[in-house]
Amino acid sequence: MSLRIIKPGLQTTIQDGGRPGNLRWGLSRGGAADTFAMALGNLLLGNPPQHPCLEVAITGPEIEFSAATAVAVTGARFDLAHNDRPVGNDEVLQMRPGDRLRFGPLRSGARAYVTLAADFQLAATLDSLSTHVIAGFGGWQGRPLKAGDQIPLQHCRAVPDRKLPAQYRLDYASRPLLRVVPGLEASHFTGDAVARFYAGGFTVSPQSNRMGIRLAGEPLPAETLPQQVSAALCPGTVQVPPNGLPIISFVEGQTIGGYPRIAHVISADVHRLAQLPAGARLDFEQVEQATAHQVLREKSHLLADLPRLL
Amino acid sequence: MSLDPHFTIAPNGDAALDIRFAAQPGEQLSESIIALAESIESAALPAVTELVPAYQCLTVCFDPLQLPDSGTGRPDTSELEQALAVLARGPAVRQPAPPRERYLIRIPVCYDAAFAPDMQALSAHSGLTPDDIISRHTAPQYLVHMLGFTPGFLYLGGLDTRLHCPRKARPALNVPAGSVGIGGTQTGIYPQATPGGWQIIGRTPLALFQPERDFPFVARPLDRIQFVAISAEEFQHTEPGCAPQKTPLADTEAKQ
Repeated sequence: MSLRIIKPGLQTTIQDGGRPGNLRWGLSRGGAADTFAMALGNLLLGNPPQHPCLEVAITGPEIEFSAATAVAVTGARFDLAHNDRPVGNDEVLQMRPGDRLRFGPLRSGARAYVTLAADFQLAATLDSLSTHVIAGFGGWQGRPLKAGDQIPLQHCRAVPDRKLPAQYRLDYASRPLLRVVPGLEASHFTGDAVARFYAGGFTVSPQSNRMGIRLAGEPLPAETLPQQVSAALCPGTVQVPPNGLPIISFVEGQTIGGYPRIAHVISADVHRLAQLPAGARLDFEQVEQATAHQVLREKSHLLADLPRLL
Repeated sequence: MSLDPHFTIAPNGDAALDIRFAAQPGEQLSESIIALAESIESAALPAVTELVPAYQCLTVCFDPLQLPDSGTGRPDTSELEQALAVLARGPAVRQPAPPRERYLIRIPVCYDAAFAPDMQALSAHSGLTPDDIISRHTAPQYLVHMLGFTPGFLYLGGLDTRLHCPRKARPALNVPAGSVGIGGTQTGIYPQATPGGWQIIGRTPLALFQPERDFPFVARPLDRIQFVAISAEEFQHTEPGCAPQKTPLADTEAKQ
């Protein structure tokens, strides 16, 4: 039993919940960039929310299955084909031996998740199967998949045909509004700089990856800001280096940094950074800590409610 | 001598608190920060998920979903902040316990020209010969203040001031794994091949991050690192997976 990569796509990797608890050693969490989309696919198949899956970025792969297994594709919208038949996101797809799942053009978002009613037959590293792309370990040989890779599967399970309920079908087409709480050094910036940060003039630079989302646009005045003594960076932290163009730390980000932090994307919204393709415009909205926690709680309840709605 | 822990606690995003100390970064403050991290771990505070020590700051990450409910119907960090403040004022931080289970770790470095593309630049900047640079770089027992940036990267204190050198104006696109460099007032080793702006003066054959091991990192905070110059031949014959020579610090102090 295995899945074989016919075409790899731009960056198709094995991901799960990553390796939390290792920030103190310089090792960022890694794992799926959009943990929410991954969880939806896994719950649809009856898996735990962080069950290992494939993360597909921007250009999707073509995959052949050697065994009967159920899969689902969540997250970014691609034109999908099961053999030559068009199929949708967010629904159980029944693969027979020799069947192919093919990704066509990307319609919205940036990263999709191929969840499987099966296990990868691979050894975990530091309790996780996720590929840490920057550090080059985990997953399949520590790297994104290539044409010809054959990933062994085991424990293929049957899952009945079903779809995610309508309220769980995410919209990635509209301009994203990311909620943030003020940064530790927000007061170091001029009022004008802060106002411009919230005015929505930035786009996602093509130099963005799992390490960080770099923003492009009119630089904020930042040359004269005092540098901080290096301290911890969490996913979602928005730093402004001397060139004035903010960088948002992401799932494989550096764990220590020293540029002033203007804002922090709230935990509940960090997963949405995964769905920003190069050139996407984005807006920031400041919220209170209590609101940030409430949004997180609501999203966690959504996931907890899903199994009984299926 | 005890350290008076003047500190502030401030939110670092919605899922972390920074405990920032007023004292200057140095050995004594790092001892206090590690002692605080240990006492927070012992206290097993609910919701705490990660502790990240840095030069002047300890970041405490938490899961907001596991915070106790303050009765307002919303999770609240004030209880956690209070518990952290009590620990940060505690005796463990004021008077850290004597070092235990800390090691002097000797890391072999080949300073030959093939591995040291920026030795000439450092020599020109410092006015020192390469031999003098090597002897000054291998003399100290550097203190590991923290790990971070990339997996297994060591933040070391104690670089000879004559070796301080600005970072490159244009970072190199690919610095090989194991490269030993100087950036500003710091020295360190790149555990992974990455772009980097430090002046590279040598390379270690040892892997600083071995994820397949039970403990994948070469050192812990408060360990000490000493670089040992080796020849190109020794470099070629050293397996990256070799463990570096490790001596309990208590033993080295007793001998002095």
